[in-house]
Amino acid sequence: MNERQLLGLYEGILRCMLWEQGLMSMQAEGRISGFYHSGRGQEGVQVGAIAAMAPQDYLLYAHRGCGYMIARGMPMEVVYSDFLGMMEGSTRGIGAGIVHIAWPSLGILGQSGTLGGSFTIAVGAALSARIRKENKVVVCFFGDGTANRGTFHEAANAAGVWKLPIVWLCENNGWAVSTTFKESCAVSSIAERAAGYGMPGVVVDGQDSAAVHEATRVAIERARSGGGPTLIEALTCRFRGHYEGDAQEYRDRGELDRQRKDRDPVEIMAARIRSSVPNAEKELEAISERVKSEVAGAAEKAKSGTMPPRSRIYDYVYA
Amino acid sequence: MARAITYSEALTEALAEELDRDPTVFFMGEDIGYGGVFGFAHGLQKRFGAERVFNTPISETLIVGAGVGAAITGTRPVVELQFADFVAIAMDEIYNKAAKWRYMHGGQFSVPLVILAPEGAIGGAGPEHSQCPEALFWSAPGLYVLTPSSPADMKGLLKSAIRDPNPVLIMPHKALLNTSGEVPDGDHLVPLGQAAVCRAGSDVTVVAWSAMVPKALEAARQLKGEIDLEVVDPRGIRPFDFEAVLTSVRKTGRLVIAHEASVVGGPGAEVAAVVAEKAILHLEAPIRRIGAADIPIPQSSFLERWVIPQVDDIINAVRETSGKAVSAAKLA
Ligand SMILES: Cc1ncc(C[n+]2csc(CCOP(=O)(O)OP(=O)(O)O)c2C)c(N)n1
Ligand SMILES: [Mg+2]
Repeated sequence: MNERQLLGLYEGILRCMLWEQGLMSMQAEGRISGFYHSGRGQEGVQVGAIAAMAPQDYLLYAHRGCGYMIARGMPMEVVYSDFLGMMEGSTRGIGAGIVHIAWPSLGILGQSGTLGGSFTIAVGAALSARIRKENKVVVCFFGDGTANRGTFHEAANAAGVWKLPIVWLCENNGWAVSTTFKESCAVSSIAERAAGYGMPGVVVDGQDSAAVHEATRVAIERARSGGGPTLIEALTCRFRGHYEGDAQEYRDRGELDRQRKDRDPVEIMAARIRSSVPNAEKELEAISERVKSEVAGAAEKAKSGTMPPRSRIYDYVYA
Repeated sequence: MARAITYSEALTEALAEELDRDPTVFFMGEDIGYGGVFGFAHGLQKRFGAERVFNTPISETLIVGAGVGAAITGTRPVVELQFADFVAIAMDEIYNKAAKWRYMHGGQFSVPLVILAPEGAIGGAGPEHSQCPEALFWSAPGLYVLTPSSPADMKGLLKSAIRDPNPVLIMPHKALLNTSGEVPDGDHLVPLGQAAVCRAGSDVTVVAWSAMVPKALEAARQLKGEIDLEVVDPRGIRPFDFEAVLTSVRKTGRLVIAHEASVVGGPGAEVAAVVAEKAILHLEAPIRRIGAADIPIPQSSFLERWVIPQVDDIINAVRETSGKAVSAAKLA
């Protein structure tokens, strides 16, 4: 990976992280209703994988933060507007407590609030691309806990037998709310399951965004050239509670502190840049300034939006 | 011009015509490659190729969920659940995905999906292969639910459903598959949400769905000269043509609601409630509901006939509501 690419990933990760910080200030100001599942700690997976996608590809994201949409290039202020419940959001004022953000022009197909609903939808999107003879790959993100839904079995099996262009991307952070991966999965790795579906299974360090990018690039290339699906398991860390306000009493403090200190994707990428990019400090500083002002501008813009009228609740039930 | 064909043939014709008309239409489900267990896909794979007419694994959440995914990305999938009872397996996909994807994503998608799911009792299929589950979907805004009662409606409703931008659950009744009827030639379409007045009459309104429509028409024949029935077929529950039912009830002042699903929690409850709210002063007798007993459907066909409402049940209810009931003593 060249310098530009590394700096690009760093900027991507920082954009997700600082966007989320901005969201948290809005939450502290009491502007935001609903549930937010922080993506802090997992930005490297989301940014690395999505950077490997082509513009025409489809994305089904998971609920862990909004790094997916930010990395895919959705305007930051639109995503803020969704959380603020304003008309300028992608869902036109219906809000995004459980994020139902969508942006079809970037292939962002939305989210199933019931976990695991996206698996079968991913298969449908891939089938549809095949029938319309469009060269699209579907990247479907999900958590380790969600991997235990029965829909995963049905969708992964169909993708395998039909050789569909899908990349199944599991963000294994070891937790599903308070339930550990170990106590809920019969094998020691999600990637092992790939064998049962006739596809390769790959484990990658999710805190190394460049490694995730490379694994995803290979999988996407394979999918695009007719080689079928791949299951990637990115080992990652959830730095914050399941939702904002979750005190995480079920977690070992020492382990959490160690993860935050040693496994932060921002720090890991910055260290890599420092060791391989000339003028690294200046570059990092410039990126940081640029992203801060982008985020602040987006937040300002979003806050000046409009709330929906009462009649909005009746819109879009039927086409 | 019209020809007499079977309900099952009408279904296949509708699929063939729409597959032919629109290259984004495709059809998938269990065993449909060779024609399907009820033969709906007879000849279709040969004619349209395995890329557009194909078998799926036994994976009902996949069948419907992939249908949703394909529908929001530019195709018009028709997917088949081998039995309507299996809506329970794919309930999240029908109730939460197909019905709500458009709404929850701010209208950025439409979901032109058709779910074909044969319903109803045919003698001995048992509690998990005989039900008429349409009432479950009274609480599913975003979804259309259709129950064709004749070959003409089967064809016209299915063709309209495939062209509609909304998700449509269409449940052909298995007991009607071999029934015949006239189907207009050409591009026969039946608009969604328009009830059919299958027989005009002046004394009692019978609102009947699906396989109960022919039974209601038979009841009307048997009562001819005694009580004049108006038979109204709502053709499904969503969209529901309340105006047609209210117009008929305002004329006759008497209402019998007949469906094969159980009376308790059945699709008629909402109809009775709306008629009570909007036309109670036009009613000259209490509303009567006819449907299955509040029990599972037994797998013995010997027993099944006592659970599924028959022509006589409609006749008795009509007599009661018209004040011409035959006393129990007389019946016995
Ligand atoms: C079908 C379903 N079951 C339960 C929930 C509630 N729920 C939301 S997130 C979550 C944990 C998910 O864990 P995982 O898939 O590992 O993702 P993570 O939160 O760790 O990113 C649960 C139980 C839900 N939304 N849908
Ligand atoms: Mg997890």
